[in-house]
Amino acid sequence: MVPSNGDTAGPSSSQDDPAATMKKRNRPQYHPFTQQQLPACKPILAPQTVVEVVYQYETSCIPGYMLDNEVAYIQNPSIDKTCTRILKVPKDMKHPIYIYYQLDKFYQNHRRYVKSRNDKQLINPKEANNTQYCKPEATEHGSPVVPCGLVAWSLFNDTYSFARGNKELRVHKRGISWRSEREHIFGKQVFPRNFQKGALIGGGTLDPGIPLSEQEDLIVWMRTAALPTFRKLYGRIQVDLRAGELITVTMQNNYNTYSFGGKKALVLSTAGVLGGKNSFLGRGYVIVGLACLLLALLLTMLCLVFPLKEEHLALQYPLPRPAR
Amino acid sequence: MRGDRDSNLGPSGHRQTTACTRPALRHQSAPKIHFCLKIKAQEIHVGDVVWLHENDEIPCDLVLIGTSDPQGICYVETAALDGETDLKTRIIPPISANLSVEQLGKVKGVVECPNPDNDIRRFDANMRLFLPIIDNEKCPLTINNTLLQSCYLRYTEWACGVAVYTGNETKSGMSRGAAEPKLTAADAIIDKLTIAIFMFQIVVVLVLGYFGNAWKYTEGLKQWYLMYPVEGEAPWYDFSIIPLRFELLCSIMIPISIKVTLDLAKGVYAKFIDWDEQMFDWETNTPAHSANTAISEDLGQVEYILSDKTGTLTENKMILKRCCISDTSYGNDNGDQLNDVRLVNAISSNDPDVIKFLLVMALCNTVVPIKSNDDTVSYKAQSQDEEALVNAAANLNMMLISKDSSTAEICFNGSKFRYELLDILEFTSDRKRMSVVVKEGQTGKILLLSKGADEALLPRACPGQQIQRYLEAAEMYSQLGLRTLCLGWRDLKESEYKEWSKNFQEASCSLDNREFKIAEVCHSLERDLHILGVTAIEDRLQDGVPETIKLLRNAGINVWMLTGDKQNTAIQIGLLCNLITSGPGFESRSPRIAQAGVRLATDTLPQTPHRAGALCTGGKTEEDILRSLERALLIMKNTSETKDLAFVLDGWALEIILKHSKESFTRLAMLSKTGICCRMTPLQKAQLVAILKSAGYLTLAIGDGGNDVRMIQEANIGVGISGREGLQAARAADYSIGKFKFLKRLILIHGRYSYNRTAFISQYSFYKSLLICFIQIMFAFLSGLSGTSLFNSISLMAYNVFYTSLPVMTIIFDKDISETTVMQYPQILLHSQAGRLLNPATFCGWFGRSLYHALVVFFITISAYSDEKSEMQELSMVALSGCIWLQAFVVTMDTNSFTYPQILLIWGNFVAFYMINLILSAIPSLQLYTIMFRLCSQPSYWISMALTVAVGMGPVVAFRYFKNLYQPSAINILKQIEQSNGSIQTSGNLESARAKLTNLLTGSRKIRDSNYHPLLSDSAESAR
Repeated sequence: MVPSNGDTAGPSSSQDDPAATMKKRNRPQYHPFTQQQLPACKPILAPQTVVEVVYQYETSCIPGYMLDNEVAYIQNPSIDKTCTRILKVPKDMKHPIYIYYQLDKFYQNHRRYVKSRNDKQLINPKEANNTQYCKPEATEHGSPVVPCGLVAWSLFNDTYSFARGNKELRVHKRGISWRSEREHIFGKQVFPRNFQKGALIGGGTLDPGIPLSEQEDLIVWMRTAALPTFRKLYGRIQVDLRAGELITVTMQNNYNTYSFGGKKALVLSTAGVLGGKNSFLGRGYVIVGLACLLLALLLTMLCLVFPLKEEHLALQYPLPRPAR
Repeated sequence: MRGDRDSNLGPSGHRQTTACTRPALRHQSAPKIHFCLKIKAQEIHVGDVVWLHENDEIPCDLVLIGTSDPQGICYVETAALDGETDLKTRIIPPISANLSVEQLGKVKGVVECPNPDNDIRRFDANMRLFLPIIDNEKCPLTINNTLLQSCYLRYTEWACGVAVYTGNETKSGMSRGAAEPKLTAADAIIDKLTIAIFMFQIVVVLVLGYFGNAWKYTEGLKQWYLMYPVEGEAPWYDFSIIPLRFELLCSIMIPISIKVTLDLAKGVYAKFIDWDEQMFDWETNTPAHSANTAISEDLGQVEYILSDKTGTLTENKMILKRCCISDTSYGNDNGDQLNDVRLVNAISSNDPDVIKFLLVMALCNTVVPIKSNDDTVSYKAQSQDEEALVNAAANLNMMLISKDSSTAEICFNGSKFRYELLDILEFTSDRKRMSVVVKEGQTGKILLLSKGADEALLPRACPGQQIQRYLEAAEMYSQLGLRTLCLGWRDLKESEYKEWSKNFQEASCSLDNREFKIAEVCHSLERDLHILGVTAIEDRLQDGVPETIKLLRNAGINVWMLTGDKQNTAIQIGLLCNLITSGPGFESRSPRIAQAGVRLATDTLPQTPHRAGALCTGGKTEEDILRSLERALLIMKNTSETKDLAFVLDGWALEIILKHSKESFTRLAMLSKTGICCRMTPLQKAQLVAILKSAGYLTLAIGDGGNDVRMIQEANIGVGISGREGLQAARAADYSIGKFKFLKRLILIHGRYSYNRTAFISQYSFYKSLLICFIQIMFAFLSGLSGTSLFNSISLMAYNVFYTSLPVMTIIFDKDISETTVMQYPQILLHSQAGRLLNPATFCGWFGRSLYHALVVFFITISAYSDEKSEMQELSMVALSGCIWLQAFVVTMDTNSFTYPQILLIWGNFVAFYMINLILSAIPSLQLYTIMFRLCSQPSYWISMALTVAVGMGPVVAFRYFKNLYQPSAINILKQIEQSNGSIQTSGNLESARAKLTNLLTGSRKIRDSNYHPLLSDSAESAR
């Protein structure tokens, strides 16, 4: 139900020529209402389907000889972590197709983690030294880390690229974060400083030349998830995919979920009115409906089998009392 | 109170106070006294000489040493002290009788008096005056020589006394007692529940803390992004961090707002009482007032009402209604005054019997005639009965004009007669009669005029006289609830009088056992009386008293009457005002058998098993009393509940019982629905209240006089009647009303509704904090047991103080069943009395409900907002909205009647929730920024809310429906009756409905009793 604008733009602007003005005086004034050109919804009463491809890759992207030692594999920066797989599109997918990464057993809602950020530093370039709450990822050799804190430090850094046949599918990475965050939470003048320069490298690195407001992966990551299993938007594919098409995915498997045995998955999904694929609400309504039906039947049965007791009837339909 | 005075205590335990010459005057005194000093009452010290003027309130306890009266008497009104409105005479001790006004200021002496106590009937002290007073022997002092604090000086120009007790050590100060802050039964339960919740909270915190630490060491250390400090670097208190975080998280489990909400609600209940138009007394122009705003819900749980009689049940206006002279009975049902034509005729025809009768009425008393400026005479009397008799005599042309200690003047049909008052044989409760010996001024004949209770006087009739007629009359009158007195008369021979007079003087002067000796002597004179007739005085019951008592008794409240009055009067009033319901033939017997105690029970009850009776505990000796108590207890046990028996008790018996067998009396008190206690002192009244309170009952004391203050303060609820006896009781009480009849409205309407509302508000407060707390706890399991709060602090705060507190306040307008229905079915009060709406069981219901709702909200939220939608702030807002939606429906479900403030507040709050959060969502610096706009534009949000409500409320509604249909509570039934009846009068099946209702309710009562009083149920069973 995407609102569609009117087909035509307004008429051309009037000229200053007085004669022309005279001529056009009788022209009806333009208004979307009078011209029947109000913005409109066009609902189609057909079931919307959401197609979803989930590809779990945390084990399949590890070479066989390292399977016993996953952590060492992921922590070794010298090993090339590129991993190419081919996915089959199960059904037609209309654009936009959203690309998510899904993490499991990752506690972004942990109290230590949630708190470990400083929103003032993120928006205001003058507050760069403000690393309150950011410990233990606050300073590096005495100078502040921007953006500071565990949340930014643990930035997800797997990357994906897609190709259909030989032709690359472009991944749109702009506009994956909330606009409000780009404008009011992450500053346009705030540039990363000292990021991932410590002894311990957490996750991804940031280009110090790009302001935080344009580091959309960071912005998405820093919107902490409430549940230990979550998906975050990676990008969008703006072309339709046909059923049966084979998509080549090239992944850089950089992020360490192996220490805590978490899963990683790549998700391609279209979106409906209610968002991604989630059968819960539908099932919930069906169950509640069934329960109501059962209850109604039960009550009918009860009324038939055990009619109301007499004293209740007596109470409900009292006879007029003779005068005293 | 001054500390140094304790050091003055003599070895004998008596204290010495010296009357010093420093005079203290409360007011500007007469000009002739030149050493006056006007000081504040608080500055009076023991030993000061205090000068008082007419109508002054007495500032401290004084020993009278001088008055304006040449006879050395003065009058005081002791209403504030003992509730008796009549005037009392106080007399100067003989030692100081001859002091001149000048000397009074300079007098020196010693008063030896006991330590301060609260006995307002006794003052065993002595006084010795120093030179220049010649008579410096010790002179005994009695209570008659004192002026007690808070009494008023009346009809005496001035009086002067030595301060013996001041401040809080005065008799009235000692018997006042300190008023303790009162806690309602509902509050007590809430406190218990709070403690239970606190325990639960501790357990939750410990368990979660333990598992939190366990998680941290097994899983948390692996989560590299959490950067837990390496082992060894962690501070020593590391293990306690997670439990403490959970403690912070769970601290909302105990709703702090409950106190605020409840106090606010209680304030409104109190205001509703103040505003109640139907409790406004038009006659005295007094509205009801609740001085204590905190205990309204106790009114709905009252189990015992202890009522004063005079002024509370009765109007305290005595009128002579009828009389029986020789063989004629005068007066009839209608007409307030005794204006029977036959009587008027008899008077005008100078019927000798009638005139003698009137003469006794006018003379045989201690009435003081007060002549006002316009020559009309008004009377002040020690007893209201005497006043009524004298007034009636005056109306019948036999007017007492003046009286002093030795002579009295009577005006009969315009001609004056003088009588010399020789002796007064005073009234005592043992003798139950009083007499005067007078000498007729013209003829010199000496007459004995007696009046007294019929059983005290009739046996003393002269042998030849037929007294059957008077017995019948007295019986008839008392059946009508009138107070009867017999009048008698005897001519005395000069010699006989002289001899007797000598004995009398002797007895009066004896130091030990004086009262008994005097009684003996009086006894010897009061014989062979010529009975003149019987008077019947009505102490009119207040408007609506019998109906009110009946209603209250139907409501399952036990009503006891505590009075300072005589036993017979008390029983009669009890009969009149439905306290004792009884068949004919019973009442007449009761006064006579009252003396004999249990015999009444044994021979009345078996014959009239369907009737109620009264058990009298009384007797002469301690053993008698205790035996009759045991007997009464046995009878009480053996009779079933429906035959409500009353017991009658007097102050003396109570004293003995309390000393020897308090336990069996407590048992008796619990078994009997009605009690009549007569001759009670203020302290005893309070003791009775305390006994009932200690047995775990909720008591309400109602009274109007200063003598009730102690009891009012002692009881769980004190109600004062702002009546004739001043405002003392009303001031000390928690509630003051204009008339006794308003009590039914106060209890049944205000009390019941208050209880219902408090029950809901308190449990709801727990529900809502538990709800949000359970969600937090569940979230803990998804956030690595780290103690993360799902909700942000603004939401949490607003949830407690705003979103959930406001809608629940609407319940203060809620009425489950209408006022008329409550009045029609007062039994419903049993429901709240038994604490059916607020107890651990109902609380478990609410606890379960909050757990269920928390599960519903939490699982719907995390399921609907999973995967890519699982964003912290959004999820938290969805969960919070779920709670708000549910609570709006919960309040709506539990509201019985919707008024516009309710609809406005419940749904207005709902709208306000969205408004506030939308506004908060517009502020970039808050975590909530844009969240609410986002959610409101998501269909899945609204769909989730609908699902939450359906799943959360569906089972509750279904459960309610089933319960209402198949196992309705009494309230449900009444609601149905109300619905189907509308305004139509009660149904033909009313009786069956009522019976069912009573069954339902008494069931609850029994359960409660067995729960709370195992002693009682055991004994009741063992007796069966």
